[in-house]
Amino acid sequence: MPKLIIDNLPVEVAPGTTVLEAARSVGITIPHFCYHPALALASACRLCAVKMLDGPVKGIQMSCSLPAQDGMVVSTTDPEALKMRALVIEWLMINHPHDCPVCDEGGECLLQDFTIAGGHSRRRYQGDKRTHRNQYLGEHIYHEMNRCIQCYRCVRFYQDYAGGTDFGVTGSAGRVYFGRFEDGPLESPFSGNLVDICPTGVFTDKTGRFRARYWDYQFAPSVCQHCSVGCNLAPQVFQREVIKIVGRRNDQVNSWFICDRARFDKKGINDPSRPRAPRVDGEATDYEAALDALAARIYDFVEVHGPESLAFVGSSRLSLEGCLMLGELVANFDAASLSFYGDPAEAKGSQLATELLSGENVAAPADLASADCIVLLSVDLMNEGPMLAPFIRKAWLGGTKVYRIADPALLSGQQLPFDCIEAATLAEVPLEQASRAIVVCHATRTPREELSDVAATGARLAMLQPGPNGFGAALVAREHGARPFDELLAARKVRGIVAFESDLPVANLKGITVLGCADWQATELSQKAGVFLPTTTWMESTGTSINFEGRAQRFERAFRPGYPLKGLDAKYYAQSRYGEPAPGQPKTPPPQPPRIPRGEIPGGQEIEAWKAMARLLEKLGGELIVEPLTGSWQPLRDIDPEAGGERIFSLFKSSEPDTL
Amino acid sequence: MIPEQLKKTLEARVAHAFSAREAAVDVMKDLQFHYGWLTDEAVGEAAEILGLSRLQVEELATFYEMIYRRPVGNKMIHICDSISCWNAGYEKILDHLKARLGVEVGGTTADGQFTLVPCCCMGRCGDGPLISIGSTIYDNLTPELVDQALELERLSGSAAPEHQGQA
Ligand code: SF4
Ligand code: SF4
Ligand code: FES
Ligand code: FES
Repeated sequence: MPKLIIDNLPVEVAPGTTVLEAARSVGITIPHFCYHPALALASACRLCAVKMLDGPVKGIQMSCSLPAQDGMVVSTTDPEALKMRALVIEWLMINHPHDCPVCDEGGECLLQDFTIAGGHSRRRYQGDKRTHRNQYLGEHIYHEMNRCIQCYRCVRFYQDYAGGTDFGVTGSAGRVYFGRFEDGPLESPFSGNLVDICPTGVFTDKTGRFRARYWDYQFAPSVCQHCSVGCNLAPQVFQREVIKIVGRRNDQVNSWFICDRARFDKKGINDPSRPRAPRVDGEATDYEAALDALAARIYDFVEVHGPESLAFVGSSRLSLEGCLMLGELVANFDAASLSFYGDPAEAKGSQLATELLSGENVAAPADLASADCIVLLSVDLMNEGPMLAPFIRKAWLGGTKVYRIADPALLSGQQLPFDCIEAATLAEVPLEQASRAIVVCHATRTPREELSDVAATGARLAMLQPGPNGFGAALVAREHGARPFDELLAARKVRGIVAFESDLPVANLKGITVLGCADWQATELSQKAGVFLPTTTWMESTGTSINFEGRAQRFERAFRPGYPLKGLDAKYYAQSRYGEPAPGQPKTPPPQPPRIPRGEIPGGQEIEAWKAMARLLEKLGGELIVEPLTGSWQPLRDIDPEAGGERIFSLFKSSEPDTL
Repeated sequence: MIPEQLKKTLEARVAHAFSAREAAVDVMKDLQFHYGWLTDEAVGEAAEILGLSRLQVEELATFYEMIYRRPVGNKMIHICDSISCWNAGYEKILDHLKARLGVEVGGTTADGQFTLVPCCCMGRCGDGPLISIGSTIYDNLTPELVDQALELERLSGSAAPEHQGQA
């Protein structure tokens, strides 16, 4: 372990750590542009200069590419190093336009920060600046090449890390240009990360440009709820509108990056026709009244039809808190049923995963990068867990063979950023010869026998779930004996349902009364419901969700729900997913909230689904639950949303997972 | 469209290379020889032969000084504008060339004979100022020597751009 001294502080680091990283480990930030922890070294910008006062190398050195060694004495504040960095900044700024006020990066710009930190504030260069033509890169990313400082981060990410081929660097010397062969939308499903990774404003998020500055935003650590990978991200919210979404570091799950769906799909949350008001039989009312009505109707229903005809339906969209509360609601009635999925394959597969997986046989996304054999077993990777792809690519670049057992029904035509060897069955894959093999599969589609075959070889499993909190829902389903809704239908007992954030198709519900529905989306089910309760999206909620590998992650409320203060961007009206607004909903949200003095936020009656359940339970005669994470779940209360999450397996030591 | 035969030759060249990128320069040069310059069509063909994207071919094509992504004259004149030649007074030579040819840097003469472009060091820094015309280097230049060189090259007729720079 090399021991060195940086700015008079003794530092000890693992072999191979660079001086820049060693400094960072003791809280010293050496200015840098081209260095990025997730990317290969480029040493392109020359900004990270330090002075080596003593040791194996002397003088000015680039700290990002210098491995820390015993006996090094490093100064980051030596006048010579300071001078070097100031001059580097000055030359990088030679061609940079003076456009911070009209640049959407302003305020969250590394170039601004390090220009100021580097002490460059007066322009000496009087010559012409080199200029470029920008390209049209699609509807998501705006290109402004004049701001480029040639750090090569974008191309190292796009081609090397993400495996894209349609964006790169052309030209040489003073003419280098970062773009495409010709105008056109970027093809990589990870293209949005260019916005985060470029230290300047060359790439800005077109879907949220010129709406607010960094210091205007409300932020919170959040977790993507589009698929069961559970990538960490942070919404940037201004006056109750989600303007942008940026990636958040989690080394085990998503490294620094998120997929384009996570970044750009904000329509649902910002949708102007999102149901904001509680309704009873289509008439808007207040939350209390709606809950009273629902409780009364459930009470009457049970009186007439008996509790066995009542089902509570959730989904893997619910947070863990929501799933647990749903369990409590069901427990309040003797014979009522609980269901999280319609399709038995989803319900059973999802539960099977919770039964079979343990801390030992489960693989985290980042584990894929160091696997020595990878199998894609009937998964549509780019839809069902896209952020796994870059890790698989990394392993593949290092020589790992990737086998694919394709399911013809699942070939979405999306290109994978690595090559696969096609195999017909698992038996064709030499799993036994590998010591760190990982099989990527989907809970819904992997039969138990196949899983036992995998387990016999010692390979680990990355078993994707049918929904973002599928693992959490399955654990609760197990605890409370939930059943697939299609089975309940077949048994013909259920005559009424109360649904929470459920996607059950209404077509199946002939002859079944939808007593109540709680959701933040205007689903078909919500249109049919006698009582409708609006809930908050995950960005407006605090809660827990468990990703496919059993990692419980906490997300925090980024903003309080309600109509956006200034009305929504016109584009959201044009593209409303839901067509006509629901009865009782205004056609469009008011461009300004009504100017009436009042205590609460207009359109802000939504509450978290679990809280709606808790209040309903209280009205049904149960006790008021203020904290759903109790019993063996209690330790999850303390999860730090910024600490990477925690595997839940240790919580259930008593109930050993089934052996495979 | 390139002739089937050329395509086959190039594919064989790629098949023998350690990696497709290793063969990229050869492929681009042959296509340039065929078209006179590396046209957009040629970039597409190179991409197909090499198994790269068009952008990835463009990355390589625009890096190399002797791959031309715009139409050029029969012979290329490269004038070194790097530091030793600058010390030796290359600017005078450049002005003279521009006047004689009636073109700016990057331009092609009206008769399509010459295209004038700068380049960064030909590794003969002690002999500056210098230029290359086609594959011949002319060093220790004075305006008079430039005139002689141009005369000589005019007489020796056309050389396809592919052969330039292969001294
Ligand atoms: S576009 Fe941005 S990331 Fe790419 S080289 Fe330029 S400054 Fe760096
Ligand atoms: S891979 Fe899944 S969890 Fe991760 S960012 Fe994309 S949709 Fe969200
Ligand atoms: S950060 Fe070290 S050279 Fe760019
Ligand atoms: S500087 Fe002109 S040949 Fe090297």
